[in-house]
Amino acid sequence: MEIVVCVKPIPEAETRLRVGADGTTFDAEGVKFVLAGYDESAVEQALLLKEAIPGSRVHVISAGPSPRTDEVLRASVALGCDLATCVDLSSANSAADPIAIARALASALATVPHDLVLCGKQAGDDEAGLVAPALGELLGVPDFGYVVDLRWDAARKLLKFQRWGESGLELWEAPTPCVIGLQQAWNDPRTAKLPAILKSRKAPIARAAPPAGPTSPSSRPERFELPPPRLGARLIEYKTPQEAAEKLVKLLREEAKVFP
Amino acid sequence: MTPPVLVFGEVHEGRVASASLEAIAVARELAGPSDPVIGFVAGSRGEAAAADFARFGVGRVLVAEDPRLDAAPVGAIAHAVTAAARSSGSSLLVAGGTTFGRELVGRLAVRWEAAVATGVTEATRVDGTLRVRRAIFGGRASETRRLEGERSAIAIRPHAFPPPVERPGALAIERVATGDLPASLMAPHRTEVKAPDRGAGPGLTDAAIVVSGGRGLRGPSEFHLVEDLAASLDAAVGASRAVTDAGWRPASFQVGQTGKAVSPQLYIAVGISGAIQHLVGMVSSRVIVAINSDAGAPIFKVADYGIVGDLFEIVPALTAEVRRARGR
Repeated sequence: MEIVVCVKPIPEAETRLRVGADGTTFDAEGVKFVLAGYDESAVEQALLLKEAIPGSRVHVISAGPSPRTDEVLRASVALGCDLATCVDLSSANSAADPIAIARALASALATVPHDLVLCGKQAGDDEAGLVAPALGELLGVPDFGYVVDLRWDAARKLLKFQRWGESGLELWEAPTPCVIGLQQAWNDPRTAKLPAILKSRKAPIARAAPPAGPTSPSSRPERFELPPPRLGARLIEYKTPQEAAEKLVKLLREEAKVFP
Repeated sequence: MTPPVLVFGEVHEGRVASASLEAIAVARELAGPSDPVIGFVAGSRGEAAAADFARFGVGRVLVAEDPRLDAAPVGAIAHAVTAAARSSGSSLLVAGGTTFGRELVGRLAVRWEAAVATGVTEATRVDGTLRVRRAIFGGRASETRRLEGERSAIAIRPHAFPPPVERPGALAIERVATGDLPASLMAPHRTEVKAPDRGAGPGLTDAAIVVSGGRGLRGPSEFHLVEDLAASLDAAVGASRAVTDAGWRPASFQVGQTGKAVSPQLYIAVGISGAIQHLVGMVSSRVIVAINSDAGAPIFKVADYGIVGDLFEIVPALTAEVRRARGR
């Protein structure tokens, strides 16, 4: 099976976010970029399927500003992905638009064989969750997000997976090709071994041109804001646990107005 | 008169999901006082579901009454929605923060050529320009986006807007044709739906109140203290990574960077110290309560209210007080 995983570089979780110079996005100066959390699950899921289905290949693709993309592509290769492609969006000024990213990925997929396209269900920077459904529409195939478990039924040649829907955990069967947005793989994501990390530094990365032409309609970030710092908890003074409980319920009911 | 604003109603068991109904108030605000807000539902029980819209004052509902859409992938729903949007002349669609609602607008970005946004917490339309505000970086920041183009589709964040107000009125159903649904989009089949357990899935991510337990509970046998408190509040149950890594509760309960991100109205952290790993998953909650024996725990820096003390005494007292206050 030809498996494609789409990955996004995002600031590592510990990043102290700052407002960028033009105020529309965060300041990327000095920020370390890593594989987005749900994308780690997508890579893990791709590798599990590759191990389960003889003759499979995993091709990892990232559309965004290079060299951030190259870092996460190499990290994915170190984990076991076979091929890597970067669609460099640094000059296209569209890396902040999830639909432009989906269009860039779709244009790269025009020349990359793919039975199954996996990605994280959303990325922890823009939290949009739009790439998988937009990519599904662009490729003319179904997409499923919030998928927590994905397996291949070799006898029936069907994907079997579970996804979180409004009324519970849904079980689905789907033929390929399709696009899957992963919430969680069967396993916790593996970590790369040092020799593989060293080797991945020399791994070839194919370069694909971003799609030509306008990407509108689109959404454009105008303002990036950080919340005012939290002042810290108001500590409830009490003599007995009962008194603490009564005071808290009163505050939640009368002041915060969140008591059910 | 401007074109109508369309509200996507996700149907389950013949009812419109409550998260979808939250979109009505937003649609009304964006539509302006004299412009129509119309609903959309699909599936074999679309007509019954349409009554839910009428209950909240949306009297005109487009119904794609088609049994093929009962358990169809979102791509097929997007086909039907696009057909309805075109036939109604609408240029703006608002979806609730359901999982399909979010994915739907992603498909509409291409299929309907709409500018789109998800997780919307504020929306304004001034002189035809739609601007949305949304939480990003797990609630550690927010952004304002301008949606450009003739058509827009947004999915709002659950609980970010007040629940809809009942305004029962007449119902006028307009049937819309689903037309040809491509075979590729109809091939997948939903074979089963399992009800969520209280601690997992949307039960956790969409709950209005979440009570989470951490290492301070000392062991799996004491975790029921958190579940009892949650039950008294009709809340979902969450856990810190320490709890799920230790196997006290399944991984589906985990709130945090590698678990689920939640933003309920009320988040109660019991015996959770507040590692950054956990904070990124819950810091955007509206009101945060921390109960911990260590006054220096980082959770107290992000909490609104704190009780420093022995959780084994505080939590049972709190559960009893909540039950008493709610008359149970």
